[in-house]
Amino acid sequence: MLKRSLALGIVSGLLAGIVSLAYAKIYHSSLGADFSTVAGMTSILAGSVFGGLLAAFGYWLLTKWLRQKGEIVFNLLFVILSFASVLAPFAVKLPLTLEAPELFPGMVVPMHFFPALAWLTLKPLFFPSPDLSGNSVNKVF
Amino acid sequence: MKVFKKFMVPVLALVLLTGSAFTFIAAQEWQIAEGYSIGFSSNDAGGIFKDFKGNIVFDEQNPAASRFDVTIEVASINTGNGLQNKHAKSEEWFDAAKFPQIRYVSQKIVKAGSGYQSTGDLEVHGVKKAMTIPFTFQKTAKGGIFTGTFNVNRNDFHIGKPGGEVGEVIKIDVSVPVTKK
Repeated sequence: MLKRSLALGIVSGLLAGIVSLAYAKIYHSSLGADFSTVAGMTSILAGSVFGGLLAAFGYWLLTKWLRQKGEIVFNLLFVILSFASVLAPFAVKLPLTLEAPELFPGMVVPMHFFPALAWLTLKPLFFPSPDLSGNSVNKVF
Repeated sequence: MKVFKKFMVPVLALVLLTGSAFTFIAAQEWQIAEGYSIGFSSNDAGGIFKDFKGNIVFDEQNPAASRFDVTIEVASINTGNGLQNKHAKSEEWFDAAKFPQIRYVSQKIVKAGSGYQSTGDLEVHGVKKAMTIPFTFQKTAKGGIFTGTFNVNRNDFHIGKPGGEVGEVIKIDVSVPVTKK
């Protein structure tokens, strides 16, 4: 269970990182804002994988602790924490040499949702639905 | 020819003397070079102004003939945070729409210790106040560099509300490289 969670966390983190890098490139080419010195390729990828790993541990702990309701609580927490984390880019103080710091949240905020989106997208591949796999259905309600 | 010599020689001498006198009085004009820094800091906020221009006339040997007339574009403020930048330009603080420039015009520049002191009028947020700014001037290969640090009380210029999180005394750090005009 933990192994599959970690695998999902790493793969979804990598996917989120790749999508984030693509978004950063589009953002830079369309608006001209370059924040590569504070949000470079390595930090974006590392941050996304870290988010995925954190989610993996959270998922493992919650499904172990709350069993059937663990997944619902995990999904809610993941989305709420992703929303809450968008406050950070608005509060961050960038180096004074960077132009137009007001454009920074526009680049980083969407990236905070990519790990959750990637996780939810890839989860059926790592944890197949009980109906499809033929296992017994775990009813939550 | 004798008449010419009689009148022209004193006239030429007078012209040369007058010319040399003006040459002595006229101080060097300087052009603001790239790499200048107009920074400010307090206990809570800090940042820079990116657009700075003006006329600088300065002679180390003759500070009395020197003069500064410089302006800063308020809208060029950068605190490193987009929300703080917007807040700083708002009506409550600098009101950049109504008072787009900060201006300093020197009235008197004197030698003071190892550096100099400029007394003049600082106009910020529509309020003009006399301000003495200590500074130093160091010659460089390309020209020179002016540096100075001084404090401004933002309440004197009605910037922000008294008290609050942002300190009332703002430290200003100026570093302006110049080249000869």
